[in-house]
Amino acid sequence: MTATAISTTALTKRYGTAQALNELNLSVPAGEIFGLLGHNGAGKTTIVNILTTLLEPSTGTAEIGGRDIGTAAHQVRSTIGYLPENVQFYDNLTLVENLLFFAHLSGVQAPRARIREVLKFLDFTGHDSQRMSSFSKGMRQRAGIAQAILHEPSVLFLDEPTSGLDPQGVAKLREIIISLNTQLGMTIFMNTHLLAEVTKTCTSIGILSAGTLIYQDSMAATLESFPAQESLEDIYLHIEASQRS
Amino acid sequence: MIEMLTLAKKELTDLRRSRLLLVLFAFLAVAVILSVVVASADFRLKIADYRHYLDALKAAGSTAAAPAPQLFPLQMLRGGMEYLEIIGSLFAVVLGASMITKEKGRGTLALIFSRPLGRYAFAGGKILALSLIWATTMGALFLVIVATLLLVGNAPLQGGDYLALAIVAAHTTGYLIMWSLLAMTLATLALRTGTGLILALVLWLVVVLIIPQIGDTMDPDNQIPGGLFASLQVDKSHEQAVMAHFTGYETTRDLIEQTSVTKQYERATFAYLGIKNEYNQQSLSFIWAGTFNNTLWLLAGLATSLGAALLSGTKKTILRKAP
Repeated sequence: MTATAISTTALTKRYGTAQALNELNLSVPAGEIFGLLGHNGAGKTTIVNILTTLLEPSTGTAEIGGRDIGTAAHQVRSTIGYLPENVQFYDNLTLVENLLFFAHLSGVQAPRARIREVLKFLDFTGHDSQRMSSFSKGMRQRAGIAQAILHEPSVLFLDEPTSGLDPQGVAKLREIIISLNTQLGMTIFMNTHLLAEVTKTCTSIGILSAGTLIYQDSMAATLESFPAQESLEDIYLHIEASQRS
Repeated sequence: MIEMLTLAKKELTDLRRSRLLLVLFAFLAVAVILSVVVASADFRLKIADYRHYLDALKAAGSTAAAPAPQLFPLQMLRGGMEYLEIIGSLFAVVLGASMITKEKGRGTLALIFSRPLGRYAFAGGKILALSLIWATTMGALFLVIVATLLLVGNAPLQGGDYLALAIVAAHTTGYLIMWSLLAMTLATLALRTGTGLILALVLWLVVVLIIPQIGDTMDPDNQIPGGLFASLQVDKSHEQAVMAHFTGYETTRDLIEQTSVTKQYERATFAYLGIKNEYNQQSLSFIWAGTFNNTLWLLAGLATSLGAALLSGTKKTILRKAP
């Protein structure tokens, strides 16, 4: 039986009268690359912020690797990696100085050796002493992945990781995400709008609509269940439309 | 503790490479040092003039006693202290606010707070960095000031003068840290990036400029150039006798000034530098006793800003106010 990496029970988040998440029950098995889909404002970033312990839920619970995000937040933070959308880092610091900073905050032992290892894994060597201000968007995303995996997390959260990347950048990032999953065994939870990328990268998907999880299944089962639809985009639009009707 | 040191180290490296802040610090240092250099040169000239005068008397065979000019080397810091009081605190506000607004603007708060940090590590790191920056800058600045007094002014500094300068440097460091922490707190609590800085600048304007200006305007000595009583040739004892009839007015003026921590800082430092006549050439213990309340108010301001910065810098508060 596969262990559960991420689970939520009746997870709800309200901002005043606005309901961002509505009694969300989600379960992501360990070892998956899970893609959470949904239109803008569906609650995707809210759920990532709750699961990364940055935001407290109004009601309900969530666990990462069996640890409650409320009562064991400190332990949860040690086991997750996070790359938010459009993060910019410290431009006056070099790549290695940025990574050393995050490695120390995560309590990484022998941080310099670990940084070398991670940069080699990401095929991102030769930029150690370069200040982040000179980095392209694609390079920043790779630096972002590096900071997120320095402490060898078991679950990695990526919020719109391909946002703003050119096609080469998207392809490189896809390759990295798949390597992290297959070679390092990380469970990956990603929010994205790029449905073509989800088809190529994710092993399972969930669809969020107005704070409610309206669909969840493996990628293979999803593609099999909707033979009339040509692409994941068609499937997504079909499921959304069925929900509305 | 390691997290706090890591955060402080990052801040120091980041600031060291920030051109804007380096220019601001250089401007402040140059303004202060230049004012001390000019005053020191003037001091040296006055001493030289007096010596020439004595030589001329001697050469003329005169036995008349020439009274020495009333020159006190620490008073040469007056201009520099005013720059630190006004421009220094303004830079402190910009520095404190920028430490938070940059984190909010870059989106790095999520990266920091998704890691296993202690509750006060983030704020503690920033506070430690600010304290180190101001302590180092003021330490270096006052060393240059002492060197200027000695080398340019040929000032005969005594042991007590060095101690007085050290006390003034400590007061100045505390005063500037307080402004940085207040600005940091307001930047943390403001939802929009610029709002915190604007609020801090409004507070700075009221406390540093408006309140002391009201107090100064109400001071009878500032009603006409040279001082009201001096221009009427009224001596100190008669001045006190006159002012005894206006105790209500004086108490009100004093209370207004006391609400400004800047005025408290000014009263204490001007006393140690002998700029305030009543404290000039007095012992340090006499000055300490006379300005203890001012120092205490400054410490209270520092403690309040420290507490506010620590409490507002927790994950829960800061992320609620992050864009």
